[in-house]
Amino acid sequence: MALLRTVERTSARAGARPTRLGRDFWLGYALTLPACLVVFGLVAYPLGYAFWLSLQDIKVGGQGQFVGLANYARLLFDRDSRIYGLFWNSVKVTVLYTGGALAGKFVIGMVSALILNAQIRARHFWRTLLFVPWAIPAVVSAFTWRWMYNDVNGVINTLLTNLGLVDRPILFLADPKLALWSVLIAAIWQGAPFWTMTFLAGLQAIPRELYEAAAIDGATPLQQYVRITLPLLTPVITVTVMLSAIWTSNAIQYVYVITNGGPANATQTFPLLAYQEGMQAYDLGIAATIPLVFFPVFAVLIYFLTRRMLRQEG
Amino acid sequence: MAEVAGPIERIRPAERNLRWWLVHRNRGYYALGYAALLILSVWTLFPVYWQLATSVRSDVDLFSSTVTLIPRILTFEHYEKILGPSYPFLQQFRNSAVVALATTVISTLLGAMAGYALTRLRFAGRTVLARLLIYAYLAPGTILFIPIFVMMSRLGLRDNLIGLTLAYLTFTVPFATWMLMGYFRTLPIELEEAALIDGANRWQILWQIMVPLSGPALVVAAVFAFTLSWNEFLYALVLLQKQPVMTAPVGLAAYVVGDQYYWGQMMAAATIMSLPPLVVYLFGQRWVIAGWTSGAVKD
Repeated sequence: MALLRTVERTSARAGARPTRLGRDFWLGYALTLPACLVVFGLVAYPLGYAFWLSLQDIKVGGQGQFVGLANYARLLFDRDSRIYGLFWNSVKVTVLYTGGALAGKFVIGMVSALILNAQIRARHFWRTLLFVPWAIPAVVSAFTWRWMYNDVNGVINTLLTNLGLVDRPILFLADPKLALWSVLIAAIWQGAPFWTMTFLAGLQAIPRELYEAAAIDGATPLQQYVRITLPLLTPVITVTVMLSAIWTSNAIQYVYVITNGGPANATQTFPLLAYQEGMQAYDLGIAATIPLVFFPVFAVLIYFLTRRMLRQEG
Repeated sequence: MAEVAGPIERIRPAERNLRWWLVHRNRGYYALGYAALLILSVWTLFPVYWQLATSVRSDVDLFSSTVTLIPRILTFEHYEKILGPSYPFLQQFRNSAVVALATTVISTLLGAMAGYALTRLRFAGRTVLARLLIYAYLAPGTILFIPIFVMMSRLGLRDNLIGLTLAYLTFTVPFATWMLMGYFRTLPIELEEAALIDGANRWQILWQIMVPLSGPALVVAAVFAFTLSWNEFLYALVLLQKQPVMTAPVGLAAYVVGDQYYWGQMMAAATIMSLPPLVVYLFGQRWVIAGWTSGAVKD
């Protein structure tokens, strides 16, 4: 056996590798060159450049000065600096925002997927309808929600007042306690269809026979859900949570358009803080540093996601 | 025969009862499901309806003290205004279209080339490159936007649609490549072997066999590249600061004049700029769903 394997390996090597670069290296490199330029020139290089910027004191239009890890130190430890409080506030807001959005998208996505996977009438129609928010530009829906939340002429306050539920308009976007929730709801509205889609695809891959067997054995739908659906859906849920965590925490549109970080920085997530420091306060060094502090978290998520995606490709 | 038929006939009603029970036992759950579906539909459609309804309401109606769910008078004055020459909307819509179409064509083309090489050709660094592409696809734009802003400023590509298109390639090219790799792998290799025997070279095989056979996957890649770049906000916000070069999403954000909001006009502009991705989605649904389930998320 061992001998046979050695022989196979030797012959495979001889057959597949006439040169050290591989059989098709010439065409292989030619065809992947443009994609390589994108990956190295527009992703890898900017990433390295972001690190380089984060080590400098550099303003828009000015010359940079190397300051080592001073930007990181200011963000993370310097209690006297203005940015220290803003940064840690943005950490808190980002965690709350991402956690809340993931929970909301999970619930709506799961309920929608379960319904769309059942034997309901006009399934195709309902599916098309529930996915509409995905196709609408995020900026558009952010503005629509902002308008609906308006305290004077907003439809939500008008309805609540007309129904006699509130005496005074609710300050959805001006009350620091409510603002993050208001933004969250808009983000959930837009983001849930992606979850519905991946959950639905996962549900459709579960063999129907499992449910039939369970039903004959007297399992209730709830038992079937807990014992069959959830365990078999776990890989899909894991991937969706990781992907959505990356995308949600990095989305800037809702906080930018609906509240612009206010009131009292209650909705200032870290991408918005980085944008404001870089493009409005013109401090490129700090602006490059803020997202990089979160880099380890994303690196771990991306590492696990990539492993999973490659494994599935086989 | 009668002896055989006897017991079967006796089983049938019982079987029918079992069927009936299996079908109807969950009626309560179905009622609950339809109720939830109704709520979900209202939740999904109401903001879209409100956007539309706002865009056809007169300003008097919009800012009156009593807001009605249905507009009292239909008017298209907001559409006329934003489409008129005094507004930059049409120009910005055109900018969006140019960038989205350029991104779509380039990323589908580059994706097909790289996807073919990575699935069917043997060369050193192949697996590393495949992995790097996923890293690139997942790399958050918030980490890249500051360095890309500085790079584009130095290259003179700020306030320039070419610079924006280059920024969009950072996520569309990796996605298209990854998506097409998955598809190319499912095509039978025998086709290529036959073509090789007939004297075709790899280049001809790519364009004359693989690409024509990959219609659906190419559509998925194109639909995604188009939708993602049409809706993109962060790079456009950072790179385009002059009104004539802005894309529609950034232009919309820039309509806000001080604390004065022209909601009717904004919702009219919002409605028009929602149409391209919405139309692409409605007609390309089948492919959008295929992309969601096979490209980005492989489960």
